This record gives sequence, C-alpha cells and structure tokens, in this order.
Amino acid sequence: MKRRITAVVLHVGLLGAAAVTIFPFVWMLLSAFKSNAEIKALHQTLLPKQWTFENFLKVQDNFDFLRLFGNSVLLSTVITAIVIYTSCLAGFVLAKYEFRGRGLLFGFVLATMMVPWAVTIIPRYTMFSAAGLQGTWASLIIPAAFSGFGIFLMRQSMDGVSDSLLEAARIDGASEIHIFHRIVLPMSTNAISALAIFQFLWVWEDYLWPYLMINSDELQVLAVGLTTFSGRYTTDHGGLFAATTISILPVVAVYVIFQRRFIAGAASAAVKG
Amino acid sequence: MTAVLTSRPADTPGVRRPLLTPRRRRRTYPGERTLRIGVVGALLAFNLVLLVVPIGIAAVGSFHRWNPLNGTFDYLGLQNYVTLVTDPVFWRATINTGVFGVVVIAARVALGLAVAYAIFSRLTRWKSFFRMVFYMPVVAPLVAVAYVWRLMYQPQAGAINTFLGLDVNWLMNSTWALPAVMLMTIWKDFGYAVVLFLAGLYSLPDNALEAAAVDGASTWQRFRWIVLPLLRPMTLFVVVTSILAYLQTFVQVLVLTKGGPGTATYLLSYLIYDKAFVTYDFGYASAIAFVLMTATVLLTIVSFGITGGWRGIRR
Repeated sequence: MKRRITAVVLHVGLLGAAAVTIFPFVWMLLSAFKSNAEIKALHQTLLPKQWTFENFLKVQDNFDFLRLFGNSVLLSTVITAIVIYTSCLAGFVLAKYEFRGRGLLFGFVLATMMVPWAVTIIPRYTMFSAAGLQGTWASLIIPAAFSGFGIFLMRQSMDGVSDSLLEAARIDGASEIHIFHRIVLPMSTNAISALAIFQFLWVWEDYLWPYLMINSDELQVLAVGLTTFSGRYTTDHGGLFAATTISILPVVAVYVIFQRRFIAGAASAAVKG
Repeated sequence: MTAVLTSRPADTPGVRRPLLTPRRRRRTYPGERTLRIGVVGALLAFNLVLLVVPIGIAAVGSFHRWNPLNGTFDYLGLQNYVTLVTDPVFWRATINTGVFGVVVIAARVALGLAVAYAIFSRLTRWKSFFRMVFYMPVVAPLVAVAYVWRLMYQPQAGAINTFLGLDVNWLMNSTWALPAVMLMTIWKDFGYAVVLFLAGLYSLPDNALEAAAVDGASTWQRFRWIVLPLLRPMTLFVVVTSILAYLQTFVQVLVLTKGGPGTATYLLSYLIYDKAFVTYDFGYASAIAFVLMTATVLLTIVSFGITGGWRGIRR
C-alpha cells in the first residue's frame, strides 16, 4: 500500500513538473496560430479560437526569416565540421603522442575554457574591425576554429583507443595521418556526435558576436534576426511567436528524434570530466 | 536506456582514470613530428592571437580611457578601477550576480537531484519520456526562449498572469524582475542537471544501495548517507560549470529587462556588454571584465576546495 502511494506521488509530481517544463513550448506554438487581436485580448484561451497561418506569412514578408534560418543552418554546419576536425586532430595528438610540454598544453587548453567572453570580446572586436573582417562570415568562423571543450572531449575519448591497435597499423605500414583518419576517427563516433550536438547548438544560439560582426540582413543569423525583428515590430506579438517558433521548433524536433544521442552525449561530457 | 549511460564503467566520476596515460615510450614515429608540430603549432598560434593577445590588450586597455568611436586611448592609471569601486551600478550588478548565481545554482542542483532521483526510482515508469521532456529546454536556443518568456511575463495577456490569475508586471517591477529572470534561467537549465545526476545515479554500485536496504536504512537515509556522498563529484561538476555559466549570463537580461527597471537586473556580464557596446567605454568595460575573470578563477578554486576535487570520495 505504501509503495502504491509513493508511486502515485512520484508520477503526479513528475507529470506536473513535465507539464510546467513543456508549457512554454506549447503556449508559443499555439499562440503563433492566433491573430494579434486574440493574442492581446482580455480573455485568454490556450487554444486559438480561430486558427490562422497569417503570422508566419506576414513575418516572412516583412523579414526574410527563411534566409536567416538558412544562414544559421549553414554557418552552424560549417563551424561544427571545422571544430570536430580540429578537436579530433588536437585530441589525437594530445592523447596518443608523447612529447615535452604535453601535460602543460592540455592544462592550457582546459584553462582557455575558463576565460569569460567578456574579457576577450572587446579586443577581438577591435582586432576584427581593424582587419576588415567585419561584415564577413570569416569573422564568425575564425574565432570558432578551435574549441577548448572539443579538444578536451576528444582527448578524453581518444585516450581510450588502445595503443597496440595503433602499433599494429604502424607495423602494417600505415602513416600517422592515415591512422588518424581510418582508425582513430571511426572509433570516436560517440564523442564526435556529442561534440557535434553541443557545438551546433552553441553556434545556433550565439548572439553577441554575430550581432557585433555582421551588419547586413543577407548574412545575419537567426538569433540576431529575432532581436532586430522584435525591435522593429514591437507590437507584432503574433509575428514574434511565429519567429520564435521558427527558431525553436526545428531544434526541438531534431532533439526529440535523436534524444538518446543528445542525452548520452550530454552525460558523457560530464562523466568523462 | 540505461545501457547508454552505464556502458562505460571506467568513466564514472568516482573512478578516475589518470589524467594522462603514463609514459611508456619515447620513440617518435615517422610522420608523427610533422603532424604533432603542425597541430600544436596551429593550436598555440590560434590561442596566442585570439586569446592571449586579446587578454593582454584588455589588460592594457583597462588602464586607459578607451573609446573606439572617437579614437581615444589615453592612459588613466588605475582610474577605471577606482571608478569601479565607487560605482553603485557595479556593486548592484555584483550583488545581483551573487544572488542570481546562488539561487539559480541551488535550484538547479536541488531540482536536478530531486527529479533525477524520482526518475531513478524503481517505481517510476516512462523514464525516458520524463528525461526527454526535462532536457528539452536545454536544447532550445536561448535568445528565442527568452522572447517566449518575455511574452509569458506580459502583464495583460501573458501566460503567467493569465493562467495563474496574478496581476504582476513582472519585468517592470523592481522586486520581481530579477526573480523573473532567475525563474526563466532555472527552467532553461535544470534539465541539464537532471541528466547529469541520472547518469551519476546509474553509475552507482548496486551493492551499496542493496546492502543499505538490507540493513534497514530508510529511503531518506539511503539518499542522505549513500547516494548523496557518491554523487559528490557530479554535484561539483554541476556547480562549477554553473558558476562559469552564470557569471557570464547576459542574453536573458538583454531580452527580458535590459538591466531594468533602473538597475534592478544588471548582472556583471550585462554591465560589461552595456559599458562596451552601448556606451563604448571599452576601458571601463575591460576593467570590470578583469574583475569578473578573477572572480571566476577564485570561485572555481574555492568550490574545488570545499568539495575535495573531482575525485570526491574513493570507492
């Protein structure tokens, strides 16, 4: 009997917490299909009284969200690919080669993760402006090329690749770069997918740096576009609901499909620390 | 589900591998030198140009009156730091950051532990569903999520007032604005702690819990005296990563309140953004940034000290 009560309490509590957690998403999604009049009405309902698609169409007319969306997808993909490759290379070198200063270098990589963005962003801003890179994607890609977190994650993962396997390949005449590409990389897919997810999300939601660097609508990313839209059309709440839906929903959908990978990746990043 | 999280017993936080593999050989393979020097060189060059040099510039800049718009760069000595000590907004931001950090981290750890333990319970069904839901806000992009919350906090038609029957102008009220920003942050981030604590729980040795149950320990006793100490390394990880994250929090402030009303929701990182890219006082912003970095390093060291490092207890 006591177990029964405990079980009921547990499930009621968890379901309640789950409802609260999911509510903002549901509310956003449903509100995106309400007219502006209904959104601001005194009497509020959760479900739209009259479903409308007008917010999405209007928002696209006023503001090219599809382009921003495409930019964010492309930029996140490019940066994620670069970060994966550089992290794997550096992780491999740090895990599998012995050289003087290796421990120091790894400590340095860890330390880079502790530097707040607030310290480096001002000098970086002046440096990139002076170099004439403002207004180009190069300014967004270059500072993201190496990731302390990525190197840390890949080094921890590649440390587990057995040395005798690499020795065997060497005896067979495989070059180091071949070993890296053909043996170590394929053995690290779990860590790579964890890194890919994190890195993609970080680029996707990064706001300040693209805001400072990119000044044209053609090259802008979604996160900055949202703030521009909200500043320009302050009263268009329906449009803002539609715009946030465009930004959030695809990410959450991908997450729901691959949730196991997401969660295992999140846990592994910590558990390996 | 558990297989994913527990398939690598050697990686559990309690059982640490040595940080680096012990020295076994000194032989250099053909082709190793080129690869190694290339990679290490690129890594060092990158960090030199984009991290070390910027930190140096910021350090020098913090002793200058530095405004890129009119090109000023005049030596001020310690003036920026003196201004900082006497600036009420800086102290307000420091207190706010402290309150924000303590409350959000405490809530994140407490909620994360409670929810993870509830999901972990043998009585609970639909475990992966719950885990999936609680992690959802973590993956949602922050800027967009902050806008959704801004709409939820709307006084007239916002979801919170409407569905809870309240009448509070959350973001314009100096008492409620900071708690509102904190609540959004807790909602966004607690799921990460849930997933981490769950991973920690699944890597606990079964026999410890069973032995305690056989000895007649109550659920609470088992939690307090066995689970909690064993989860200490994971708790430390959550706390340290949270400290690093919350000292840098700024997007939700920018979207929700812009630091207002008045200075009620200024956090240190938002203040730096404000000084740097709204008033273009780069020198003063750099001075605050250095204080922030010092605080980050000190707090990290202190939390390692309190909780006894990653290793926690050995088993």
